[in-house]
Amino acid sequence: MAPSSATSPAADRSGAQLSNTKTTVEFRAALVAMAIVALIPLGVSNPYWLGVLIVSMYFAILAGGWNLLAGYTGQFSLAPATFAMIGAYTTGLLNHYFGVPPLLGIVAAVVVSGLVGLLLGRAVLRLVGPYLALTTLSFAEIMRLVASNSIDITRGDLGLGVAGLLDSRVGWYYLFLGALVVLLILFYMLLRSKAGLFLQAIRDDEVAARRAGVNVVFWKTAAFAISAAASGFAGALYAHFAELVTPELGLIGQTGLIVSMTVIGGMGTLAGPVVAAFLVYVLSEWLRDVGGYQLVVFAALVVIFARFFREGLWGLARAAVQRWGRA
Amino acid sequence: MSGIDVDLAVNGLITGLFYALMAIGLSLIFGILKIVNFAHGEFYMVGAYAYTLIALALGVPVWIALPLAFVVGALLGWLTERTLMRPLYAGYTSWGLMRDEYAVIVTFGLSLFLINFVDKVIGPYAYRGPPLVETSRVVLGPVLISGHRLLAAGIAIAVIAITAALIKWSFWGQQIRAVSQNRLGASLAGIDTAKASVIVFMLSGGLAAFAGALLSPVINASPDVGIFPAIKSYIIVVLGGMGSVPGAIIASLFLGVIESFGAVYISFQYRDAFGLILLMLFLLFRPQGLFGEKGREV
Repeated sequence: MAPSSATSPAADRSGAQLSNTKTTVEFRAALVAMAIVALIPLGVSNPYWLGVLIVSMYFAILAGGWNLLAGYTGQFSLAPATFAMIGAYTTGLLNHYFGVPPLLGIVAAVVVSGLVGLLLGRAVLRLVGPYLALTTLSFAEIMRLVASNSIDITRGDLGLGVAGLLDSRVGWYYLFLGALVVLLILFYMLLRSKAGLFLQAIRDDEVAARRAGVNVVFWKTAAFAISAAASGFAGALYAHFAELVTPELGLIGQTGLIVSMTVIGGMGTLAGPVVAAFLVYVLSEWLRDVGGYQLVVFAALVVIFARFFREGLWGLARAAVQRWGRA
Repeated sequence: MSGIDVDLAVNGLITGLFYALMAIGLSLIFGILKIVNFAHGEFYMVGAYAYTLIALALGVPVWIALPLAFVVGALLGWLTERTLMRPLYAGYTSWGLMRDEYAVIVTFGLSLFLINFVDKVIGPYAYRGPPLVETSRVVLGPVLISGHRLLAAGIAIAVIAITAALIKWSFWGQQIRAVSQNRLGASLAGIDTAKASVIVFMLSGGLAAFAGALLSPVINASPDVGIFPAIKSYIIVVLGGMGSVPGAIIASLFLGVIESFGAVYISFQYRDAFGLILLMLFLLFRPQGLFGEKGREV
C-alpha cells in the first residue's frame, strides 16, 4: 500500500493530495471497467450469462460496500450478507403483506438496513479484531436463524414470493449497472472528501486519529451504517430480480464470497473489489461447468492472496504498470 | 430432580467434555497469538474423516486409528502454523493488510478451502465411523447411554486431564503460558516463541481432530460437519475468557448442560441461538469472560 493513507489526519496537504490522486486513478479504472461491462449486452444475448453478470453486479455492490467498512475503516465485520438479507426481507415483507410497490420498498430497505447497521456499529464501537469478527458473526447467524425459523411470517426456508419490477433481463442488467455506477460515484465523492481521510486515519491508528481531532465515534458508526445501507440496497434489488427472498441470502458462505472478492481485488482500493466481483463470479460459473472446483479454487486464492499478494489484483496490476513504465 | 433431569445433566456434561476438547485448543491459540482460528472446526472434520477412513478403508484397528487421527490433526496444525501463521509474529508491521484482518481472512479462507477440498476429493456423502465398542446401550440408574459414548467420555476426560497437566506443569506448557502472558517478555527471557506457537497449533489441531474421531460414529461426518462445533467453541472461549484453559473446560461443561436442558425445556428450534446471544452479550459487556483476566483486550 502506498504510504498515502495519512497517518496524521490533520490535513497534511501532501498526504491528502496523494491519497486523492490514488483514489481518482482507482475511480477512473473502475469507470473504464464499468463501461466495458455496459457494452457486453451488445454481444451477449444469452439470458443465462446475462443473469450471471447481474449476480456479479449484486456482489460488486456488496463487495464495494464491505470494502468501505473493512478496507477503508478497518472494521472487519462478518455480516455484509446479513444486511443484504435484511434489505431483501424489508422490501419483500412490505410487498408481500402490504402490497407496497417495489421502488418504495427498496427505499425502505435502504433505510432499515442502514438503521440496523447504525445500531450494530454503535454497539461494536470498542471491539477490534477477533472480538469484532465474532460479534458480527453471531449477529449474522442469529438473524439468519430468526429469518428461517419465523415460518409464520417469512415462510422460512421455502422463501417469500416477491413482485417483479422489470420484464426484460437487459433492463435489469442496466438497472444493476446504473446502481453500481451511482454507488461508485458516491463512494468516490465520500473518499475524496475529508471523510475519506478520517476513515483511513481511523483504520491506520485510531488513537492518533482521535488525538488529532477526528470524531472517531461518529465516523466509525457512519461507515457501518453506510456500508449496511449499500448492502441492504443490493439485497432489495436482488429480491425483486429473483422474485424470491430466502434466508440463504444471509449464509456465511455468501459473506465468504464477498470477503474473497474484496481480498482478491485488493482491500482498501476503490476499483479492486468491484472488478474482482465480476472476475470471481464469472470464473466461478465457468469452473462450475468444468467440474465444480470453483469454491476450492477461490478459497485457495483467498489464502494465497492474503498471504503473498496482500494488495490484491489491483496491487499486482499497478506494479506491472509501473515496471512497464520504467522499462 | 427427576430421572429425566439426571439423564439430561449427565448427557449434557458428556457433550461438554467433547466441546472442551475443541475449545482448549482454540483458547490456547488465542492466548499465544491473540487470534481466533476460524478453521478450527475443519480440524475436527478432518479428524473425523481420518479416523473413519483409516479404520474402514485401510482396515486398521480402531484403537490405532484413534491416535492416528490425533497425529493427522497435529500435522495439519503444524502445516497451518508454518505456512500461514508465521507472518503474525515475524514482520507484519509493514503490512498493508492489518494483522487482525489477516488472521481472520486467512483462517476463514482455510476453512472454506478445507470444506470444499474434502467435498470434492472424498465426496459430499456422510461417513459413519466405526464405534469403539459395540454395546448399544448401558443403563446406569436413570441414565441411558450408548457404550461408545460412555467409553469416549472416559477417554475425553483422560485426554483433557493430561493436556491440562501438561500445560500447567510441563516445561513446554510453562513456556507456552509465559508467551501468552507476555510475548516480548518471554522472548527476552530466552523462550523460543516461534516453537511455542508451533506446539500450540499441533496440540490444538490434534485435540480437535481427536474430538472429531471420538464423535465420528455419532455425527456422520460430512465436509461441513465442523461448522457447528466451531461456533460452540467460540462461544465457550468467550464465556471462559479467551486464553484461559480452566475457563474453557468449565465453560464447555456449562454450555453442554445448558443446551441439554434448553433444548427440552425452552425451545428446540432456537437452541443454537441462545448460545450465540450469550456470545454477543459477553463480547459487548464482558469481553474478558467469566474467568479471564482484565486487560486482555488486543
